[in-house]
Amino acid sequence: MVYTQRTPWTLVMGIIMVAYAYMVKSGMMEPLIKFLNTGRHAGEMQTLGFTFGALAILVGLWQMLAAPKEGQTDYYLSTVAGLIFIMLIAFVVKWGLDPLMGNWGRAAQPALGFNFASVMNLNYVVMGILAGIIIVNVFKVPGWAQNGVRLSRLGLKTGVILLGTLYSFAELAQLGKLSVVLIGIFVLGSVGLVLWIGARRKLPNSMTGVMSAGIGVCGVSASVAAAPVVQAKSIEIAYTIGTVLLFGVVCMFAFPIIGKALGMGYVQFGAWAGTGILNSAQVAGAALAFQPGGIETLKVAEIFNITRVLFLPIIVLWLALWYVKREVGAHQVDVAHVIVSKFPVFVLGFILMFLLSSTGIFAPARHYQGSYFDNSDKALIKKDRSGKETSNYLKDADVETLKKDADKVKRDDQKAALQRLIENKKVMTEDDDTTLRGIINAKAMSKEGTAVLNKAHRAVRHTAAKIAMFRDLIAWFFTFGLVGLGMQITVASIKQAGGQPLVIGSIVGVIKAVGSLIVVLLMVSETV
Amino acid sequence: MLKLKNILLASHGTIGAQAAEKIALGLCQPDTVLHHLIVIPDLWGGMMGDDWLNNASTRDTYGQYVEAQLGREIDQHRAILEQEIKARGVTFQTKVVLGKPDQCLIDYAVESKADLIVIGSPRPSEISGLRSRMVLETLAQALTVPLLIAPYPR
Repeated sequence: MVYTQRTPWTLVMGIIMVAYAYMVKSGMMEPLIKFLNTGRHAGEMQTLGFTFGALAILVGLWQMLAAPKEGQTDYYLSTVAGLIFIMLIAFVVKWGLDPLMGNWGRAAQPALGFNFASVMNLNYVVMGILAGIIIVNVFKVPGWAQNGVRLSRLGLKTGVILLGTLYSFAELAQLGKLSVVLIGIFVLGSVGLVLWIGARRKLPNSMTGVMSAGIGVCGVSASVAAAPVVQAKSIEIAYTIGTVLLFGVVCMFAFPIIGKALGMGYVQFGAWAGTGILNSAQVAGAALAFQPGGIETLKVAEIFNITRVLFLPIIVLWLALWYVKREVGAHQVDVAHVIVSKFPVFVLGFILMFLLSSTGIFAPARHYQGSYFDNSDKALIKKDRSGKETSNYLKDADVETLKKDADKVKRDDQKAALQRLIENKKVMTEDDDTTLRGIINAKAMSKEGTAVLNKAHRAVRHTAAKIAMFRDLIAWFFTFGLVGLGMQITVASIKQAGGQPLVIGSIVGVIKAVGSLIVVLLMVSETV
Repeated sequence: MLKLKNILLASHGTIGAQAAEKIALGLCQPDTVLHHLIVIPDLWGGMMGDDWLNNASTRDTYGQYVEAQLGREIDQHRAILEQEIKARGVTFQTKVVLGKPDQCLIDYAVESKADLIVIGSPRPSEISGLRSRMVLETLAQALTVPLLIAPYPR
């Protein structure tokens, strides 16, 4: 079979991308960039525009002029059109709709009394997923793009693998422990609860089995893994997947709004989303919706996702044994086969990247989580896009604020570090930086004084270039993956939410979301 | 009386469809051919949802399982109906297609040269089941032969 479809669209999309990148480079887009305040993205607009544009033009020409033959080359190249299609949508959303919505949100604030874009989290992640959902349900994904849209899974898995570069041993150990405890309690608890309710309501074992996996572990993925094992009927699969998707999409919008309303921190929100949202794809979506400008929340949430997926083979095995015990004529379970076939291999990639990062190959010596200390003039004085110099030394007003609060600091080492900061208008050593962070954490100074200390800290702490590159890459892989996954959420499948799975799923889903929220608020502090 | 050489029956085993089966069989004359259409709704194409954690082997296993399961359910339904059709000595043909139910019906009506189409009523909202139904407006606009809708059994 030849997979490549002859279409001019790959070439057209490539020309659009290259033209846009060229216009950004030549300054023609400057008025729009200023209006949207997207100057910080100008670099990636050019890099990504030229790179993906060139790829699309080459492959587009090949699609138009060559006669593809059956084989691996044809198969892999058939995915490029879909890849470019998703990237083009991501570009429009990230560099256009996201800042535009931000502008509208601020403009409407006086009339509405609140910033709707901020409250509703209308950022590029949420809008990207929405764009995907709208495309598949209203316009349909074009045939030539379908193979590439399937690559979105690979995009998300690659994002998770690269995320491994951003953890320290201590961070991973603590987040790992926290996630095993929370996921252990809530996953095993909700699987057990569904099995119990199913038995009480005398539901078929096949329905109870597929439902407990979907609602308990990681949503659609768990349903897909468990359905053949518990020999689920077609209607039971449809009910469960519909319920999980409906719940997942609602949670993806509701969780960030609730999290912000409750003033949750990144760790708290990541832990809650990672535990309380039924479907794993929406965990990543909610984490990025909550913190679109950084990936701290995503880092926490994905550890919970990884823990969930590591639980998956165990739960599938449990359900298989549970089903065989209850059903006459059910197939016997090959324990080793279930464990091996369901093991998420991409988690090994994550661990490998984490181990490589721990050797320090991605960041300068003495870095901590990819961040290193540098207080030289080269690091403190920067030029903006117009060539104007900006200094990150403290201003006179900042120094005055510190002087006013200086007598609130009692410890000698802190007094000395503060004095050196006041005299030099910058943090002088890495030890001073640590000591000054102690003043911030102890909340010893006024709000204004703490803000100045934070500013001084940020001026001398820099992210390693490779780590910064990984962060950007991770954000793009997740954006690509989530837009593509949005294109796989059909209203027709969500509409199947119904029957007992909807009733039981709603009960257990709400218990899980509220229960994990209470536990997280009571037990998880912001520092890990 | 309307001479019915070809009757097209769309049914998939639900209670509403069983009512349509009874009516269609009752209308069959000695030389009538009953064309039995079973549509697997295209919503099954989206039933892998946004799964991204599983590996290709698990996804393949699931896809093959769902296909086989749908096949088993269709076979069961077909076996029951065929027993009834044979008992009445009616000539019949069965076609299984994947797609949008209304569009598949319109296409098969042309292909089978149907003189009459018999379908079941939409399921009442209080009864659960797969949410995939014929859009009657689409059928009314596209069909060129009479359409008979069996009342839902109460």
